[in-house]
Amino acid sequence: MSSALLLQSLILGILLGGLYALLASGLTLYFGVMRVVMIAHSAFLILAGYLAWFFTVQTGLDPMISLLITVPLFFGIGVLMQRLLITRLKPASLTMMSVLLTFAIALVIEGMLGFTFTGVQRRIRLDYGASSIEVLGAQVAVVKLVAFGLAALALGSLWFVLKKTSFGQALRATIQHKEAAELVGIDTAKVASYGFGLGLATAAVGGTALALDATIYPSLHWHWIGPLMAIIVVGGLGSIPGAAVAAMLLGVTQSLLQVPLGTTWAQTVFYVALFVTLMVRPQGFFGGRLAQRF
Amino acid sequence: MSARRLTRSRARGAAVVAGAALLLTACSSGGGGGAEEEGDDDGPIRIGISLPLTGDFSEPGKGVQNGYEIWRDEINEAGGLLGRQVELVILDDQSNADRVVADYEALITQEEVDLIFGPFSSRLVLPSARVAEEYGMLFVEPAGAAEDIFAAGYRNLFYAAPAVADTHYDYLFDHLMSLPDGERPETASFASMDDPLAMGAANGLKAKLEEAGVEILVDEIYPPNTTDFSGIAAQLAEADADLLVGGTQYQDGVNMILAVRQLGYQPRMAAFTTAPTLPEFVEAIGADKVDGIMTPNGYSPAAEYEGNANFVEMVMEKEGREPTEDEANAYTVGQVVTAAVEAVGCAEQGDCQTELVDWLHENEVATIVGDLRWDEAGRPNGAHFIQQYVDGSPEIVLPEDQATAEFIAVKPEW
Repeated sequence: MSSALLLQSLILGILLGGLYALLASGLTLYFGVMRVVMIAHSAFLILAGYLAWFFTVQTGLDPMISLLITVPLFFGIGVLMQRLLITRLKPASLTMMSVLLTFAIALVIEGMLGFTFTGVQRRIRLDYGASSIEVLGAQVAVVKLVAFGLAALALGSLWFVLKKTSFGQALRATIQHKEAAELVGIDTAKVASYGFGLGLATAAVGGTALALDATIYPSLHWHWIGPLMAIIVVGGLGSIPGAAVAAMLLGVTQSLLQVPLGTTWAQTVFYVALFVTLMVRPQGFFGGRLAQRF
Repeated sequence: MSARRLTRSRARGAAVVAGAALLLTACSSGGGGGAEEEGDDDGPIRIGISLPLTGDFSEPGKGVQNGYEIWRDEINEAGGLLGRQVELVILDDQSNADRVVADYEALITQEEVDLIFGPFSSRLVLPSARVAEEYGMLFVEPAGAAEDIFAAGYRNLFYAAPAVADTHYDYLFDHLMSLPDGERPETASFASMDDPLAMGAANGLKAKLEEAGVEILVDEIYPPNTTDFSGIAAQLAEADADLLVGGTQYQDGVNMILAVRQLGYQPRMAAFTTAPTLPEFVEAIGADKVDGIMTPNGYSPAAEYEGNANFVEMVMEKEGREPTEDEANAYTVGQVVTAAVEAVGCAEQGDCQTELVDWLHENEVATIVGDLRWDEAGRPNGAHFIQQYVDGSPEIVLPEDQATAEFIAVKPEW
């Protein structure tokens, strides 16, 4: 591998890792707040992608402007979903049953997308879709940079909300110890539903970032949920910084391995990491203390 | 909850998530569907078809369905097949190779259909061809061009299109070799989906180019679920070959083109399978960026073949646009089976199927993609056109006697 290709792959890996981090952050949040395994997260990503595409086709404006609509919309859907569906599950079997429930939701979203927009594969055409800037001899695509920026911005905001607001404090308290949080007067039911809404709001941003540089179609979410689940397990369930670090590491590793091993084997890095994590450190490599701190 | 219990519950959660992740990547489809109708010998001729109406191939699957339905409507309006109305029994295989086998078994044994038509995509034709062979059914299929299918040696299988995958680029190869030194590409890069059709066409061209002394710089195979092409593009850009060939379906073709453009790779020639034949391709890439992109195409709405003008008119009327290759190939299946059934004079399971198979082996059928004749394994004898984008619209450039525009030897920058 030449040094130019190495640098190019490294840069692509970092950009990819940033996107993975954003896409996985919501997933780990749901689990952290209420032990929900949200299979439908990637379906919501694709839904947001479709809404961004539809918005651009209808208005001719930049797809990122659609975030003004989709972020509050997804937050609302998240709150309602938690209030109306997730809370009906029995606490004892919540984690298992949430897999079934959200699996069904994923199928409904996929079906509705196919029904509404047909199965035609869509791509948002952007004037800057193929432009790139040169950094140290490597080409950095503008759309990937924008997606990375969105990821950084969204994760930064998430960090700010969780760390610097009283709602964030309440949410972290709920993540760390629900009963104790209740004892000090936190309405954990409300906090949990807002937490779920927050997770879904990240899906709005993530789906839009994804759609900037990908062709989308209704069944695409199945390709995403596996790697994303692997990322949050490696990162430690419930830990957002853990997910971010794991996403970055796996993204860069995948990108670098692609040259010597080929695309097929490079993809397996997620599952190898998943197996190793479960064997060596089932609570995740970056969970535990990190998760408590966030 | 103590800290230790918290850790344990997190670990258990991890196991559930991990299990779910593995399960989901393995089964990317679920649910069910089917049709239950009674049939008898004096009623309509019932034709069993399994199609990928949902899942990864849903779009081409619907195109094939549309082509079959147009054929059915036309034949029923004209009084039916052997004087009997035609009825299609269509099941959804969800783009899943296991389902397609179960579907055809159910169609033949439970539905007791009189005839079967093939599904879409080589990946689904391959397992279903075996089922058809086991039950001795005539199996004319619209979309299984990969060599693997013919290598199995099924005598009842016929591919209703002009040419098999390996030969799709033959006109292009011949043309490239006829170019003077300096214009002829000296290096080529290949990136193909791990799919029999997509890979078949690219590999056919690659073998010929290698033999002719063209240096192959990159030869990458990626799995069908690949959506990020930046890593592959980085290798293609670094190699900077004269000719770029993508063994693509749809989304991978579009994503690959955007990814190499982002890295500033400007090949002198570029060819991709399938993706450039679809109308949404131009929309995704941009009309000013597609010029010079080549693709093998088995069908041209402009071609003057048996019934083609009529077929184009019917699709225009129904859909308000020209037919796609998938629709054309499906309609061709109908034409081929019609010819056999009318010549032999029967349409039912049993000995009739053998007679139909024998007839097709001995005769030539005039279709909208040309006059077709098959070898013992069902390979058609024709060749694919080479289509190229000229001023933002698809034109046939090779062979020269069917060309609607002149071949662009040096692709404009994209």
